Amino acid sequence: MSTDGQRVLVVDDEPQIVRALKVILRGAGYATQQAETKQEALDAVAVRPPDAMVLDLILPDGSGVEVCKEIRRWSGLPIIVLSAVGDEREKVRALDAGADDYITKPFGTDELLARLRAALRRVGEESEPRVRIDDLEVDLEAREVSSNGEVIHLTPIEFDLLRVLTRHRGKLVTHRQLLHEVWGPGFENETHYLRVHVAHIRAKIEPEPSRPRYLVTEPGVGYRLRED
Amino acid sequence: MPDPAPRGPTLKSAMDARGRHRIDAARIAVVGAEIVLSVAAITGVVALLDEVAPVTGLGVLYILAVLVIAVRRGQIAALATAVLSVLALNFFFIEPRYRLTIADSHNFVALLVFLVVALVVGRLAATARTQTAEAERRALLASAREREAMILAQAASSFLSGENVATQLERMADRQTTSTPRAIRAGITAAPETQGGELAVRIPSTRPGWLYGRPDAGWDRASLERLAQALARLIDLARERELLAERSAAAEAARRADATKTALLHAISHDLRSPLTAITTAASGLRQEGLPPEDHTALLEAIEAESERLARMVDDLLDLSRIEAGAVNPRTDWCDLADAVARAAEQVERRFGTHQIELDVPADLPLVRADAAQLERVFSNLLENAVKFSPESAAVRVSGGSGGGRVTVRVTDSGPGIPSSRRSEIFEPFVRGTEPGQGSGLGLAICRGLVEANGGEISLQGSAGKGSTFAVTFPLVAQPVEAR
Repeated sequence: MSTDGQRVLVVDDEPQIVRALKVILRGAGYATQQAETKQEALDAVAVRPPDAMVLDLILPDGSGVEVCKEIRRWSGLPIIVLSAVGDEREKVRALDAGADDYITKPFGTDELLARLRAALRRVGEESEPRVRIDDLEVDLEAREVSSNGEVIHLTPIEFDLLRVLTRHRGKLVTHRQLLHEVWGPGFENETHYLRVHVAHIRAKIEPEPSRPRYLVTEPGVGYRLRED
Repeated sequence: MPDPAPRGPTLKSAMDARGRHRIDAARIAVVGAEIVLSVAAITGVVALLDEVAPVTGLGVLYILAVLVIAVRRGQIAALATAVLSVLALNFFFIEPRYRLTIADSHNFVALLVFLVVALVVGRLAATARTQTAEAERRALLASAREREAMILAQAASSFLSGENVATQLERMADRQTTSTPRAIRAGITAAPETQGGELAVRIPSTRPGWLYGRPDAGWDRASLERLAQALARLIDLARERELLAERSAAAEAARRADATKTALLHAISHDLRSPLTAITTAASGLRQEGLPPEDHTALLEAIEAESERLARMVDDLLDLSRIEAGAVNPRTDWCDLADAVARAAEQVERRFGTHQIELDVPADLPLVRADAAQLERVFSNLLENAVKFSPESAAVRVSGGSGGGRVTVRVTDSGPGIPSSRRSEIFEPFVRGTEPGQGSGLGLAICRGLVEANGGEISLQGSAGKGSTFAVTFPLVAQPVEAR
């Protein structure tokens, strides 16, 4: 995938982290821009909207959650949040406020770039009806799933769950989002539906269901279908 | 110990008799009547027998009257009876009859002898009576004192073992007698609170209380006062002891907090320094010119690994401080334990590629109410420990099951096990394994803190020389059902 011309805004007040992030992003072919405070970030997005944003949750003049909320009023710009271990509550607030994904510090280069790629891939742009991940193949049009060429039978709900995850593959899909898209409005808090059906899907598609490879849990937040 | 209470009233009258001889008219009248009646009765008997035996021989019967009165009423009454008997004998039976003159000198001697015998017998009987009364009084006094001593002994022993004087005092009184209403009781109140007919005596301790005794159960003011005095001293001692104990507990808590802080600072300075040194050394090594590519890679890997270690340590310290501050705040939701274990196993295997972790947690294990991210940290800590303590390539096993109202996950290693002497302390922060370089010593303390904050329990099970098993248990709750 080409990254030509795509610009990433890095919002963090730690100079060393900003420096490292810029080096990594430039190395991957992105142009970078930087903001150190909440206000600077909002100004930068207003003046010249970037293609994506990497946002630290703790800023000198406020929280990254507020930045997410503010930006979501007028922009669908992909936002990836940087969070620390144990900050689950804040992370979830950021996702609820409109962040697309998160990455836990300390993170590896590959992980960061994978998240960014997935966030930049627009859901609507996906024209490919068939998605292949390792030995797993999901045919969205034919509603067919196969592993190593063998057809796997999924119930309608199981397929719908897998379909939502496939459309957003590589991206975090929150519990709320999954429940809303599969069961519809009013079911957003029935997280136990997901626990049960995800376990069933894993039993069918995973080579070793007790160690899921494709369908990954993001504890307390949601699920992610691995991209490659 | 039999209840001595019923003997009380006798004790009371005996003590009155010893104390002050109250000679009142009623008593004299009763005694007088007894004397006259007994002498009259004997006179009647003698009159009946007058026909069959000589009167001088029958006169001896009056001794009976003297004896009875001596035993019942004492020496003075016996004397009066003897005199009255002589007069009666003289008047009714000695010639000339119905006059107080004596015709025959032989009869006079007999009458005199009778009087002397009556007096001696009366005196002997009266002495015996006094001695018996005295012995009885002593016995009663002794049992009363014994009762008081027992109450005091019970109070002393309960004060010495107990924590709270007020409750101990209540219980002390309770133990004394099981009958209701209680014969004696005590309470620490400013004003007396008597119940039906009780005597109240102030206990003169620093913080005064009241001692209540029921007179009908044998408690009089004098003995209650004696008891109150002694109790006051005991209560003051017990209070002093309480204060000292409180002070020393506070001092001990402060000392322990200090020890924890010192241990924390020690752990921080030591454990954080070594990865930092490794990172700094590796980074400056990278500056060397002409470094072979493999060395370059090795140094970079060292920096990555040590930084990760440092980060985990800081995360552990943050977790621990949240736990100690009671700020774990779990985001409780339905959790799949198998899922949490799988995530944890993946992380640990990525970090320590050397071990095989066997997962045997059924996918249909009942869901539990907990914070999924915190559960994952618990299992990754347990698995990390298990891997560290197991010999290379030895198996680490995770199993799960439910039953008895609980859902349990067990993590078993193949390490050396934990000696029973150390089992109680392994969940305390900064307690490490015996070998060096085995982590911060915070892992298990964090596990326990997180599990307990989520309503579960963690325990160390069977560890007999070959491996340890840690069991994480959550209550089994009614499983949710899908609406459609």
